[in-house]
Amino acid sequence: MDIQKELSSNQTVLLLMPGSEYNELMVETVKELSNKSVCYVTTNKTYDSLSEIFKKKGIDMKNMVFIDAISKTLKKTPDQGDNVYYVSSPGALTELSLAISKFLRHDFDYLVFDSITNLAIYQKAQICAKFLSSLINNIKKNKTRAVFYALEESSAELVKHASLFVDKVAEVNKSGKVNEVVAEKEGEKEGDGDNTKEVNDKKKDIKKVSKK
Amino acid sequence: MAKKIMVVDDEKDIRDTVEMVLEKEGYEVVTATNADDALKKVESGEKPDLVLMDIMMPGTPVKDIIPKLKGIKVAYLSVVRTSEAEKEDLMASKNIVAFIQKPFDVNTLLKKVKSIVK
Repeated sequence: MDIQKELSSNQTVLLLMPGSEYNELMVETVKELSNKSVCYVTTNKTYDSLSEIFKKKGIDMKNMVFIDAISKTLKKTPDQGDNVYYVSSPGALTELSLAISKFLRHDFDYLVFDSITNLAIYQKAQICAKFLSSLINNIKKNKTRAVFYALEESSAELVKHASLFVDKVAEVNKSGKVNEVVAEKEGEKEGDGDNTKEVNDKKKDIKKVSKK
Repeated sequence: MAKKIMVVDDEKDIRDTVEMVLEKEGYEVVTATNADDALKKVESGEKPDLVLMDIMMPGTPVKDIIPKLKGIKVAYLSVVRTSEAEKEDLMASKNIVAFIQKPFDVNTLLKKVKSIVK
């Protein structure tokens, strides 16, 4: 799967993945993006778990910052760590939205949202849809390109809503190929945004903003 | 006398499937839709031999309900991926007896349940 290519012509992409291959595919996607700055939002794997997985798979995390919306539901967790910001739960959509906005201001190359499926556990599909609509509008005001993951077998209503807001919806098959374009909206195709800021500077800035 | 299992999951499909599979194996099954519901049922007199509890559900966080289920064995069903260290921490409560990662194989689940409630 060439996710960088997809994101070069579409600012926001929704990837529908089969549950049985989800973990492998999400790792492959991140691996492709890890040479640029990435803000990774997780609603189903703790930051510690992601670190463990990425290290095992040889994914360089120095260009990444994380928004972890799951750890606080499982254990006592601080508000932030070196390269991670914790949100109280995947259902705390206002808090999640504020956290993502802080990061978007720093023009990360990519935002990975893993995944919209888990949002539906905590909130009604319509509320999640409103959140996604607002988030995608926010993304479009910035240079950041975003990929949203969803399980293709579930959250049909939310996926349907999300499909209306993103530039492209793609199904990824078990071998990692984007085998079917479900919907692609007409509109202006943008080129790669120029982003030369160092991630470490962004992290420092984010910490400053977070403390305010 | 049949052992009683309480299945706690906000997803109806999972509750129904696990209930069906366990009943077929001769277990008595009660279900609850979230951790609050499970606690309410226990407080009203349900005495399950094992609670199969989804770790991530709407309502009061599971971690806050577990201490109130003193003396009842609980096995987590988790779609959430945690690190090994986090898993150990989650298993630290005395009544937590297993951590079953979703999606799980029915035979693995049955084997696990059998070994816990024998």
